[in-house]
Amino acid sequence: MFRNQYDNDASTWSPQGRIFQIEYAIEAVKQGSAVVGLKSNTHAVLVARSPNELASYQKKIVKIDKHMGVAIAGLTSDARVLGNYLRSEAMRFRMVYDLQIPVGRAMEALGSKAQTNTQVYGGRPYGVGLLVIGKDSKGPHLFEFSPSGMTSEYFAFSIGSRSQTARTYLERNYAQFENMDLKTLIKEGLTALKDTLPQDKQLDAENTSIAFVGVDQDLTIVDGPEVAAYLETIDSTEMELE
Amino acid sequence: MSSSLLLSKKNSDVTENGTYKHTTSPIVTGTSVLALKYKDGVMMASDCLASYGSLARFRNVRRLQPIGTHTILGASGEISDFQFIQNQFEGLMLKEHVEDGQKLETSSIYRYLSNVMYGRRSKVDPLWNKYIVAGVEPSKNNNIFLGFVDLYGTTYQSSVMATGFGAHIALPIMRKYAEPRADSLTEEEASKILDDCMRVLYYRDARSFNKIQKAKVTAQGVEISEPYSLSTNWDFAESIIGYGS
Amino acid sequence: MTSVGTGYDLSVSTYSPDGRLFQVEYAGKAVDNSGTTIGIRTKDGVVLAVEKIIPTKLEVPGSNKRIFSIDKHIGFASSGWMPDVKGLVARAREEAWEYQKLYKVPTPSKILAERIGMYIQAYTLYSSVRPFGAMPIMASVDKDGPQLYMFETSGAYYGYRGCATGKAKQLARTELEKLDIDSLSIRDAIKEAARIIYTVHDDSKDKLFELELAWVSQESGNVFSKVPQDIFDEAVQYAKRANDDDSDDDDDL
Repeated sequence: MFRNQYDNDASTWSPQGRIFQIEYAIEAVKQGSAVVGLKSNTHAVLVARSPNELASYQKKIVKIDKHMGVAIAGLTSDARVLGNYLRSEAMRFRMVYDLQIPVGRAMEALGSKAQTNTQVYGGRPYGVGLLVIGKDSKGPHLFEFSPSGMTSEYFAFSIGSRSQTARTYLERNYAQFENMDLKTLIKEGLTALKDTLPQDKQLDAENTSIAFVGVDQDLTIVDGPEVAAYLETIDSTEMELE
Repeated sequence: MSSSLLLSKKNSDVTENGTYKHTTSPIVTGTSVLALKYKDGVMMASDCLASYGSLARFRNVRRLQPIGTHTILGASGEISDFQFIQNQFEGLMLKEHVEDGQKLETSSIYRYLSNVMYGRRSKVDPLWNKYIVAGVEPSKNNNIFLGFVDLYGTTYQSSVMATGFGAHIALPIMRKYAEPRADSLTEEEASKILDDCMRVLYYRDARSFNKIQKAKVTAQGVEISEPYSLSTNWDFAESIIGYGS
Repeated sequence: MTSVGTGYDLSVSTYSPDGRLFQVEYAGKAVDNSGTTIGIRTKDGVVLAVEKIIPTKLEVPGSNKRIFSIDKHIGFASSGWMPDVKGLVARAREEAWEYQKLYKVPTPSKILAERIGMYIQAYTLYSSVRPFGAMPIMASVDKDGPQLYMFETSGAYYGYRGCATGKAKQLARTELEKLDIDSLSIRDAIKEAARIIYTVHDDSKDKLFELELAWVSQESGNVFSKVPQDIFDEAVQYAKRANDDDSDDDDDL
């Protein structure tokens, strides 16, 4: 029934020093549609496309606090649990210190919560990956959260299905992001996201979400018709190329 | 639950009718703390006395405590409760140091303290103090902060502030000489106003002492003076029958 | 490992017939999979060095540091499974603070080491948990002078003058043994630590890496902290020069 003896639960090491249940949980992230995050010196941006073709689209980007938002790839219900946790941590921080929670702090708390799920029998690791953007006294940030409990900070990153193509694009171009204005940064994000789409799929105003936060700008989530204006920026670049 | 069951726990806090009794009065106390905003920051003063009732029991107690680089905490009331709060802040600052070096600024420290004070009062087990939190916030364009919190969790902010007997005796003086000129007051002027207020308090407050400390916070950080003695003049006592002669 | 796959290696609460706890050994494999960490204790201080392997250049430099402050005077560096490392760090910080709160003195590293050892050991006792996939090295200066400890996945720990863990621990240990540690100054130890990390780093396996250096010594005010930038740069220069010389020698052959 199992692929090997060591993959039943997260509390067993394999002889190679791996934990298969964590690796499988990371597979669940790859099942989710891709999300892309990137940052400049002044802004951090998330872009995502919802794959759901039915009545309404599943939300891919959610707000945590005035200064923080996350994009999700993987099990949406797990994402909701983690999102609620982040919200309560952010609110607790506001309550206790009269301060927006520093993004790194929020990630540490989240990572430590997820780590417990990987060391104790009877539970399972979270089956969702997150890209988190936010700002604090040290400027804008982009973090990735993985089911292992690992949290890393990036200049630009992508997770989810076919995200490798987006990462390749980002690796080639991230050095220029530093000094970009917000609009160009979003354009770069959408371009990377476009690379992850299945053959017959497009980005459109119904299925695309954008979120951004800046040193002097609260988190803004753009959904629906307003997205069209941003999508035009990548369409026009393509026309130029043609 | 029957009262006998509670009593069988031998908890000295439990009274005969099964209710708890916490602190109802302080034991070793510090008197007034004064603070005012001036041109470059904020200045604070307190004496070095910890009284046991009316006995001047400990005469070299520091009641002005730096918290981090740009905040001072001044305490009046129960000294042991103040020491508990000092420990709390030591832990908090260590946590900041080891985790990410993020520095808590004055308004965050004030909010934290206010939460502790209100939390304890809501347990009907208050920390018997009145605190003044003062500082300068570098990340907020060197905003000058001055806030008060007491054993009930009451908070307010103002440009002049006093606890204890100082709220009756020194506050009117500070309101007259410091408050209208908070933006232009020089360090020397601020220092003199506080010395004068502390001197008046020493004449009028029987729980006060003439060995005092002053502290200031500016954009450059915290400076707390060593304890020093105020000059006093008791010549007037000569003319009071039963006082000096 | 003849017992692999016989079923005696699936739970940390089961011994193999020859008395081994395989899950503890497997956790050690997770440590061997990650970058090398070393520690050197000299007469006047301790230095910790980490070869932090970077998975992608998209990662912000300084992200996921492997060196941690535990208390003002105590620090950790660790190879191993990063989320587990952080779990141990969080616990160590709690223990250090609880001790200090209770006794009002800086936590003696001997006592902290024992408590951390006990904590790691507790995760080798029950089938409901797995051992930590981490081998932290702890550095401090306390009333007994400079201290260096390394913890194993079993919870066993020992004091060292020089120790190494992670991918290239064997090679690093050989390099450490060549040093005359007792006569080394802390400044020299920092240089040697950097040199060893550069020596053991395998460019063909992991392209990108970041050197992390931290120390605690009289010169750092007995505070565990990052090595100051100028000393760091000097150490890196020394490390690179030493390794260039080595490769020149190879060319001569």
